[in-house]
Amino acid sequence: MEGSSLPIRPSGGLPGRPAEQTNLADILERVLDKGIVIAGDIQINLLEVELLTIKLRLLIASVDRAREMGINWWESDSTLQSIGQGDDDSQPGRLEQENRELRERLERLEKQLGVGNGDGEESSKKGTRAKSG
Amino acid sequence: MARSHRRRELARRVADELESWARERAPELLARAEAEAVAVIRDALVDAALAERGAGAARPARPATPRPRSAPPAEPSAAGDTSSGHGLWAYCVTRAGTPLPSDIAGVADEGALRRVDAHGLAVVVSPVPLDEFGAAPLRENLNDLEWLERVARDHEAVLERLLADGTMVPLRLCTIYEREDSAREMLEREHESLTRALEALAGREEWGVKLLADAERLADEARSRSAEITALQAELDARTGGGAYMLRRRLERQVREAADSLGAELAEQVHVRLQDWADDAVVLPPQNPELSGHKGRMLLNAAYLVEAARVDDLHALVAELEERHTGLGVSVELTGPWPPYNFLPGGDTAALA
Repeated sequence: MEGSSLPIRPSGGLPGRPAEQTNLADILERVLDKGIVIAGDIQINLLEVELLTIKLRLLIASVDRAREMGINWWESDSTLQSIGQGDDDSQPGRLEQENRELRERLERLEKQLGVGNGDGEESSKKGTRAKSG
Repeated sequence: MARSHRRRELARRVADELESWARERAPELLARAEAEAVAVIRDALVDAALAERGAGAARPARPATPRPRSAPPAEPSAAGDTSSGHGLWAYCVTRAGTPLPSDIAGVADEGALRRVDAHGLAVVVSPVPLDEFGAAPLRENLNDLEWLERVARDHEAVLERLLADGTMVPLRLCTIYEREDSAREMLEREHESLTRALEALAGREEWGVKLLADAERLADEARSRSAEITALQAELDARTGGGAYMLRRRLERQVREAADSLGAELAEQVHVRLQDWADDAVVLPPQNPELSGHKGRMLLNAAYLVEAARVDDLHALVAELEERHTGLGVSVELTGPWPPYNFLPGGDTAALA
């Protein structure tokens, strides 16, 4: 074939889009969800296809969209909350960070309200106003 | 008295703050829950597949995989070669005689692309090893996102190369034959609908259009367009202390709703304009940012079928639409030409159910 080195996907007039790496979501939403379905010799049984479809919908669709479609089982399954923490190094780190952020927010709030041990700017301002008012 | 009032106030503020934090983080937390749920499904599938294979080995009388017909031992030259552990992965249907590129690998590194011709049609295939693409390993592999990505990209790359040479009907991922004869039988069986699809798609291209918005700028714009929100903001600015908190929540909710409806309105405007202009149009669900890597909110994800001769006009139209909305922090992304996945007769997901 001639011109084999030409990019397949013309990128002219499409600023900011890499010519080589097509967005995976663009490909998956097409090759898995679209394209003509014709029976082959090697079949995947229906149960797996259904599970696969659910999984792929989660990957492809946004969370809102999944909810609209009635897919929300992860919300009610409490066992899912603990899964993945053991073998995924990033999970505990992220939880810790979330906890830290929450603690910081609480501290700020306490300062704003002038309770707790906080003696930052917010609480001293508030105190002054209370005395004069 | 004052102290308990203050406590109640603190509790209320904290609850409020927690709620807004949770709302802010909800998409990320849910995305993580999704990933975890997906891992659970994958593990369950792998277990099931392994158990099935184990059962098959223990009871040799039962066929390990159901097959639609009993295949006679294939000649090595008749390809497929299930006897040597190979099947044929099918990419798409084209007109018979379509030239094939020789410099592109398929989904497996086991042999060149080839064409199986019959009845004026051709199905483009390449050999795949059954220890990777047989029914049981396929089920495992499909649930491995890295494997899936590689195969999907390879499949897509073949289609895109062939697209440059003519009209095609793309097949869904994982259409696999044991022998060339099975692929030929398929062409015979589906001859009428495939020919009709090729005729309908001749000279047309699929292009994707996405509308992406910067969430903050969209909210700002929605804010400035609403007299009610402006009034509410003025009222809030004039108030101090805990009494303002209900008002602030109301304001936040109104801004959110106004931004949603402004986003929907923009998407509708752009889609209607393109739909009127194109031969056919399909709206797709917005994509998961984790997979697509897009920034901001995806207001529209759609595909349009366009005459190849009018593609320059499409570029101009998209540029015009982007120009019109650029002040709102909205960008229009055009991708293509795609294999016409979204414009096939009966290519709906309903066929799977």
